[in-house]
Amino acid sequence: MEANETHDVVVIGGGPAGLAAALGARRAGAGKVLLVERDRTLGGILNQCVHDGFGLFLYNETISGPEYAERLIEDVVREPIKVETGTMVLDLGPDRVLRINSRAGYRLVRAGAVVLAMGCRERTREMIEIPGTRPAGVFTAGSAQNLVNLQNLRIGNAAVVLGSGDIGLIMARRLTFEGVAVKGVFEIMPWASGLERNVRQCLLDFGIPLELRSTVVEIRGRDRVESVVVAKVDDALGPVAGTESVIPCDTLLLSVGLIPENELSKRAGVALSPFTGGAVVDQTLMTSVPGIFSCGNVLHIHDVADWASYEGFAAGESAARYAAGEKAAGGTVRVSAGPNVKYVLPQVLTAGSAGVEWSFRTMRPLRNVQVVVKGKTTGKVYARKKFGRLLPSELQKIKVRPAVEEDLEVSCHE
Amino acid sequence: MNDRPALDRLTCVLCPVGCELEIRKDEAGELDVQGNQCDKGVPFAVEEILHPKRNLATSVPVRGTAATMVSVRLSGPVPREMIFPILAEIARLRPESPVRRGQVLIADVLGTGVDVIATRTVES
Repeated sequence: MEANETHDVVVIGGGPAGLAAALGARRAGAGKVLLVERDRTLGGILNQCVHDGFGLFLYNETISGPEYAERLIEDVVREPIKVETGTMVLDLGPDRVLRINSRAGYRLVRAGAVVLAMGCRERTREMIEIPGTRPAGVFTAGSAQNLVNLQNLRIGNAAVVLGSGDIGLIMARRLTFEGVAVKGVFEIMPWASGLERNVRQCLLDFGIPLELRSTVVEIRGRDRVESVVVAKVDDALGPVAGTESVIPCDTLLLSVGLIPENELSKRAGVALSPFTGGAVVDQTLMTSVPGIFSCGNVLHIHDVADWASYEGFAAGESAARYAAGEKAAGGTVRVSAGPNVKYVLPQVLTAGSAGVEWSFRTMRPLRNVQVVVKGKTTGKVYARKKFGRLLPSELQKIKVRPAVEEDLEVSCHE
Repeated sequence: MNDRPALDRLTCVLCPVGCELEIRKDEAGELDVQGNQCDKGVPFAVEEILHPKRNLATSVPVRGTAATMVSVRLSGPVPREMIFPILAEIARLRPESPVRRGQVLIADVLGTGVDVIATRTVES
């Protein structure tokens, strides 16, 4: 297909991962880099995350989301990177031809390499199928964050939060600041899904109850939410009859999980993992489609923006090398998640690669844990690391130093 | 061994080890911290129990723009009980554009020694 223009590296998405990917591509020598962002401004979701806690790893200090974004953006605009905001990638093919729509119109762009950095979406009421009426006043936590922090809107007077994801916890505090009565946070699992420091600083500080093993079983109200019905759940996560209670409120926030936004990846034929919802990648963060790389929340959900950026730098560097003609690594060794491990990244490795750092997440909270990386054929232990405690909310890292020649399994033992 | 009920349990946030600390009062009424694997855990737990400090963040509208908000935070943490008094001060803020990231919007807010600063840039 005849493309209107060509670039060495095209990065899709201008959030913490995509900004870093564009910089990483330049650092690794890419000449022509295009960064495409759907929104009117760069920064992605960082712009509405006004709380602090960003930058601890990247900048060695704790700053807010907008500051973190501006610093990365300043680095990007200093580079000869072509930035297009208000621009949408409509389609991406396995031949790395992008169909792009911008204010200037529709065009085709051919990329030497593509970095996917589209981020994620929030799960909605429909996806978790909460019964009841369909009144106004039901928001995902992130859309409420946008309305409050960026649009100065008061979204209600009395709120219930379903799910204990980090954004839900942060919004419980944010609404409390705005004078909204937050009646409680209800979490279906026996543990909080957000970070422990957020449970402490966002709920305990303000006396907001966190009810574990419980959920919203009904939404009531005609035009506006009038109340929600909550109930305890059993071990199969089903509501327990007789435990229902009615909580009067006009607002329900949902913080019930994030889903990598991989519509474009699917169009390009990128293989996805059922465990992460993101692409299957090798140690260079390349997907199953040669020349297409993935990083940040579109690859897997992160709890800290800094890690999304580190992944972005790495993906951008790999993309630049691929575009320069360096042979793709390609995965031949498969890495699988063993007992107590939800997923491991990367999922495939090039035989013989050594010193690869992996990300992993556990299925449930574990204490005095030994993490073991074992060869599936020989039973050889490639890496071992001890942790006092591991939580599913915290993404962890383990480095595998020796050269890998066989399929591997990562497991956690208490 | 101190078998009085724990006043509080918290995870030390000073490093990635994340020791689980338990704080009790001993016979003399002094705070007794258990579970720390290094010396930093004790002062961390004592401050968190006796004088917890927090930062806070919110956003305020900027004059001279089409309803653009500037996000703000404190330059450092303040005693937790100062959160709502400081929020009331910030609620009165209506800075003029342009606003620069890091610009001090209220110096030494309520005598706490910390400033309210802008955390993004808003052009006029």
